[in-house]
Amino acid sequence: MTWDWTFALEIVPTLLWGVWITILITTASCVIALIGGLALAIIADTTGWIGKTTIRLLIELLRGVPILVLLFFGFYALPQLGVILSPYVIGISVLGVVYAAYCSEVYRGALITIPSGMRDASVALGLSPFVTWTRILIPLAISKSIPALINYILLTYRQTAMLFAIGVPVLMSQAQILSYERFRYLEPYTLAGLIYILLNIPFIIILHKFNKEQ
Amino acid sequence: MPSLLDFTNELLGGLIVTVQIAVLSILGCAITSLVLGVLTASKKLPSQLTGRIAVEILRGTSVVVYLFWVYYALPLIPGMPSLSAFSASVLVISLVAGGYGAEIVRAGIAAIPAGQIDACHALGLTGWQSLIRVVIPQAVSQIVPAFGSLAVDVVKWTTVVSFVGVSDLFYVANAVRTVTFDTISIYGLLALIYIVLCTITSLFFRAIEWFLPLNRALRASRRPHGILIKPAPLFSRMKVKS
Repeated sequence: MTWDWTFALEIVPTLLWGVWITILITTASCVIALIGGLALAIIADTTGWIGKTTIRLLIELLRGVPILVLLFFGFYALPQLGVILSPYVIGISVLGVVYAAYCSEVYRGALITIPSGMRDASVALGLSPFVTWTRILIPLAISKSIPALINYILLTYRQTAMLFAIGVPVLMSQAQILSYERFRYLEPYTLAGLIYILLNIPFIIILHKFNKEQ
Repeated sequence: MPSLLDFTNELLGGLIVTVQIAVLSILGCAITSLVLGVLTASKKLPSQLTGRIAVEILRGTSVVVYLFWVYYALPLIPGMPSLSAFSASVLVISLVAGGYGAEIVRAGIAAIPAGQIDACHALGLTGWQSLIRVVIPQAVSQIVPAFGSLAVDVVKWTTVVSFVGVSDLFYVANAVRTVTFDTISIYGLLALIYIVLCTITSLFFRAIEWFLPLNRALRASRRPHGILIKPAPLFSRMKVKS
């Protein structure tokens, strides 16, 4: 079978729809991951050992279980418990929660490197814990963790291809559906792979810029 | 209705396939990472550029995309081999993980002070000799911990091989689901097994880290050499203070 340009051009719009869905899912999961990760890190920092242990266990659970198992759990096991969610919701929340666990480790590392003198100074200045967190600790932690966080955003984007398993029309599922419908495997999979690789470029440029600044 | 326990043998068979793929892929990943890592750490621009481009392409997308391409699209190109599902899986996971591993190897090599390379030069070692004798033994103690967490990722990535029909643990579990319909216990069990597998992998790399020559030497240097240095007696310390 040789490369058929007319077929390749014909499937481009369908694949681009998949690109759009991929971008939407990446954005939504990243918002959950970045905010959820920060929340986990703050809770682990401010609560006692019970809170710390619970969050530690949760993070280890999320990092030890493959994404596919979590996706299938949401897709097949949750309905048995009476919770029926759309594949979009399952996909976005699984990716979001898993990468929230990874991001919270980044934030935790950044919080550790903030000198304890900062916290002492805030107490000495009579700042309330809320102001200390929102004005001093969180901005510092975020600015320290940006390069690592961009890396995790990139990983989230790459993992969105997994969502084809539960039928979310990401780029990968569009390619799969096209190849089954038309019995031509070469063009859809090759084009999808190329688009996936090319979409990395903006992230790589941003990362490069951040690494240069430091 | 059949229960989960009736399928213990099938699940064990699946577990064995998963472990096989994971072990082979981790080995393949180690080889790919070393080759690409040395290439990207090279000072010559052409080889560095080749390495960088290869790494970015390999890391460019998730394992599923490459696996489907290698399994379904690659055999259609004239002259390209048609791989079995098992070998395609091992090849793809090794290469993709190797892309991430190359970055670990490169960072490990870059962490070695340039002065040491100059010293190797001054001592008349060839480039290859200084790489094998000086750079790699030191870089390895940096590389192994990061490689351990990559290996854990590899174990998790093995789940995707079920989509091309390799009967690994995930595939068998999904087949069992269609018979028993007891989805909660199946996916609970799967989660548990994968956590155990990941923990074993991570502990294995901790053990390697412990036995590395450089780390053993570091531990030995911290130990007083055969002489037990006793802390000064409390009485004399108090005397000095007063």
